[in-house]
Amino acid sequence: MGKAFDPSLIVDFIPTLIYYLGVTLQILAASVLLGMVIGIAAAILRLFRIPVLNQFVILYISFIRGTPILIQLFLVFYGLPAILLFINIDISRMDALYFVIITYALSNGAHFAEIFRGAIKAVDYGQTEAAYSVGMNNSQSFFRIVLPQAIRIAFPNIANSIIGSLKDTSLAFTIGVMDMMGRGETLIAATAHALEVYLSLAVIYYAVVLLFEKIFRLYENRINRHQTVDVSVTG
Amino acid sequence: MIYLKDIKKSFNQQPVLKGINLKIGKGEVVTILGPSGSGKTTLLRCLNFLEKPDEGIVQVGDVQVESKKATKREILSLRRQSAMVFQHYNLFAHKTVLENVMEGLIVTKKYKKAEAKRESELLLEKVGLGDKHNYFPSQLSGGQQQRVGIARALALNPEVILFDEPTSALDPELVGEVLSVIKAIAQEGITMVIVTHEMSFAKEVSDRVLFMDRGVIVEEGSPLEIFNAPKEERTRQFLNRISRDFSVSFLEERAN
Repeated sequence: MGKAFDPSLIVDFIPTLIYYLGVTLQILAASVLLGMVIGIAAAILRLFRIPVLNQFVILYISFIRGTPILIQLFLVFYGLPAILLFINIDISRMDALYFVIITYALSNGAHFAEIFRGAIKAVDYGQTEAAYSVGMNNSQSFFRIVLPQAIRIAFPNIANSIIGSLKDTSLAFTIGVMDMMGRGETLIAATAHALEVYLSLAVIYYAVVLLFEKIFRLYENRINRHQTVDVSVTG
Repeated sequence: MIYLKDIKKSFNQQPVLKGINLKIGKGEVVTILGPSGSGKTTLLRCLNFLEKPDEGIVQVGDVQVESKKATKREILSLRRQSAMVFQHYNLFAHKTVLENVMEGLIVTKKYKKAEAKRESELLLEKVGLGDKHNYFPSQLSGGQQQRVGIARALALNPEVILFDEPTSALDPELVGEVLSVIKAIAQEGITMVIVTHEMSFAKEVSDRVLFMDRGVIVEEGSPLEIFNAPKEERTRQFLNRISRDFSVSFLEERAN
């Protein structure tokens, strides 16, 4: 059991922990960007039903959805070096941070793929026909007309997914990454004030999530400006 | 100008077009009438390959495509000969009114932005929307949206403009503004093919009227011939049915 609860420690702990927020955000940024690339690619493979790859993507998405991210993290951390050793590449000394980024990128990619796939299908086919009717080819109509509208549709779900991912990064410490959570664990070991550390972490995560939500909402309003129907100008 | 030879099209083994042959001259305004399910919209959509015919030859302007062997490239150049005005407008939802008209000019005609903008502003003026440049489609009435759709089609300066029931989705009081814009451009000598249910409009605007039923062109002729002296029984029946609706709504209007 720890020592007696001392709330004043929270004020000391927050600045110490916030110093490591950068690592958390770094994991998040890298895995979201990589996840976008994986997600769009996987969505396209699914939508165009590319043989073999389509089935592979279905399996990948169902595996990611069906297993806890903590297990995925360990599978990548222990599994990837083992596989690569077969082809004589030794990554056992690679920084644990990269394993975390790979895991979260794969996880985000699977979730983004499903979100993008749904969003692209939700864009009215009449938009594509209109694009064809003005003489656009397939890729012009996809990238200029369909995708921008799909991103608008996908955005609220992507935003939720990113916030979920931010909180999931708190598992990175389990393979020895020194992010906010990792630093928190060492603080607990050093001070035995577990409750104060976890409260401090809760405050920081909560504040960051609120900030993210605010930013996402502003951005959403911006991309949805063409959706707002102003009755006074209709006539 | 427009030349169709033996166009056939089925949906799920259900024949919709059973061998259509048609020639339309430059500057001609042709309306296609017929009951629903007669294949008139499908025929129109075959002209720009939004439906790919199963068989037959489609020619618009100087681009000729053999349906069975059509390549992507051929389809693209065929589509660039025409423009389409849709029943449900299909304006690009994420673009402003001005951008909607500019889009085709920039992407397919390779206009510079300033040039495209100038051209588009003139066209919006012409359809009476000079004050709505920066509105999004969702902020406009149906009639206004359809007039943007017409401006978008005009901008491409196509060989032919295809109208797919341009007023069917509109509230009755907005039909007039759209029809008068179409009449105005018909007088400029632009080739047009119009699928419509507006009989008096068809009578007034067309050089030639086609009557379609069950996948074939049953009868064609001048508006005078088709409306006043139809030769075919099916045409007569259709016009009777329509004119009965006409007189009923006319009486209703008088009664109110």
